Amino acid sequence: MSGLAIGIVVLNVVLALLFSLGAAPILVWIERRVAGLIQDRLGPNRCHIAGVRLGGLVQSLADMLKLFFKEDFRANAIREKFLFSFAPVIVFVSAFLSFMVMPFADDIYVGSERFIMQGLPIDLGVLWFLALAGLSVYGIMIGGWASRNKYALLGAMRSGAQVISYEAAMGLSLISVLLCYPSVQLGDIVRAQGELLGGVLPAWGIFLQPLAALIFIVTAFAEANRTPFDLAEGESEIVGGFHTEYGAMRFGLFFVGEYVAMSASSALIVTLFFGGFQLPYLDTQTLHVKMPLILGALVFLVPLGSFSFIRWMRKHNRWRVQNDPRSRESAWLTKVIVGLNVVFLLGAGYGLIVGLSSFSTQFVTALLQVATFAFKLLAMNFVFVWVRWTLPRFRYDQLQMLGWKVLMPLALVNIVVTASVIVLKGA
Amino acid sequence: MNDLLFFLLSFFALFGAFGMIVLHQPVHSALSLIVTLLALAGLFALLNASFLFAVQIIVYAGAILTLFIFIIMFLNVKESNLPKEPNKTLYLFLGGIVLIPLNLLVLRAFYAMPLLREPLAEDFGEIQPLGAALFTKWLLPFELISLLLLVALIGAVVFARKDEV
Repeated sequence: MSGLAIGIVVLNVVLALLFSLGAAPILVWIERRVAGLIQDRLGPNRCHIAGVRLGGLVQSLADMLKLFFKEDFRANAIREKFLFSFAPVIVFVSAFLSFMVMPFADDIYVGSERFIMQGLPIDLGVLWFLALAGLSVYGIMIGGWASRNKYALLGAMRSGAQVISYEAAMGLSLISVLLCYPSVQLGDIVRAQGELLGGVLPAWGIFLQPLAALIFIVTAFAEANRTPFDLAEGESEIVGGFHTEYGAMRFGLFFVGEYVAMSASSALIVTLFFGGFQLPYLDTQTLHVKMPLILGALVFLVPLGSFSFIRWMRKHNRWRVQNDPRSRESAWLTKVIVGLNVVFLLGAGYGLIVGLSSFSTQFVTALLQVATFAFKLLAMNFVFVWVRWTLPRFRYDQLQMLGWKVLMPLALVNIVVTASVIVLKGA
Repeated sequence: MNDLLFFLLSFFALFGAFGMIVLHQPVHSALSLIVTLLALAGLFALLNASFLFAVQIIVYAGAILTLFIFIIMFLNVKESNLPKEPNKTLYLFLGGIVLIPLNLLVLRAFYAMPLLREPLAEDFGEIQPLGAALFTKWLLPFELISLLLLVALIGAVVFARKDEV
């Protein structure tokens, strides 16, 4: 392997870690600030490191430290000590691993060697996600059972029944998507979504398979144990549900695992239905050909965007007490943004003047696509949070009714219709 | 590397199967069975059967065993209500001895099998060639098995339904 090849592999691993583990504090932050927005309050925004608050993002770090240094408490009644400690690990690891097959960008070629831009170079795609989504429920069930607590057991039972019933509808809704893009590999599915439908709409899954998209998004909410399907921890009925007995970092793993699972679900939704890493109307080929033009446009757009952001920040990000370090945050952030802009302009200018080699074109394309993917991922995560703070929880029988009597028949009808259309078009 | 993985996975498969029989608590037995199933999935992956690997985890470890554990936890049997198994070790030992001839038979059948000498196709075990083979060469057995599954499904619904209608 050459140096470039090793670099690409390392980049992939770092990206996978960033998108899954690094996403957890950001998602906690988004959750709290959006909750504040929806409930007409500010949310946490005062915690700071040497004056830097980043809009409250530092609070997530403080929370993580708190969970880390809390007393590692376990009730004496718990006999299954190993299983009790192992359960959060299952939840966390399976959520983390399910992120590993999401493609962040189109394949990169070094010479004739092909590099798949995802955490692990396996081509199981959707199947891998389904397998790990099925395994993660063991963590919740074992944890609830090992707690030796009626509330915890009830939460675990609810979660088990919920995941089993929604997995059926989820798998069935995926089949019609796989019929549309004849591959299980997520890279192929995203590449197919780069084309245009009738020259106008991008061929995203949501336009080709709106019903499957709806069913899949609903079942993904259920699989990630998010409101309106978070009966496993319905605090108004069963205290904390499966994690009633958990505290400190054992709870922390459940907590982070939930956010990583949510992010993985969003990543799969984005990949299957919202074009993944594809910029609309600009597929990889076009990006490669027009790279100098795009880079030239970015040289103007990025400083312009940064400038308006700095103006917005100077106006809104203030701290009224004069001598507090937090009052200097905006000035400090301005310097950072200006510095980043200078670095970007130097790099882009160098590329434009010297001319881009085949590899650097691919690399810049990949960066653009990673940025697109990250943006879509954040938008989808925002939808998850938005729904959580807007909709009330389902009643348990309504949840099962929705899964078996509404979503599953709809998914079956969708498969028959999709298959007939494909056969008729082929004939 | 492959050999090491093979031995590790086989160890876990045997260990899990053994644990399933020996352990007293039903939940522990079921969890032990999961270890076996996951190790088997790993063995499939080692043999380049990636589709079987995924299906093994999705269907057996992900769905069937979840239902097992769900039911066992749902019944929530108390320690005192579990059956006492006084001479368990002795019975296991005798049972093992009784099964030796059968094992020898299986071993002989295994060694009588012709060895595969040609290299396999490049895409062996992947989802596309597998699907093509199932729907062309093995279409009739495939359809018969799906019929059998349908019958079992309808049977389950008939048994589970109450007799009030």
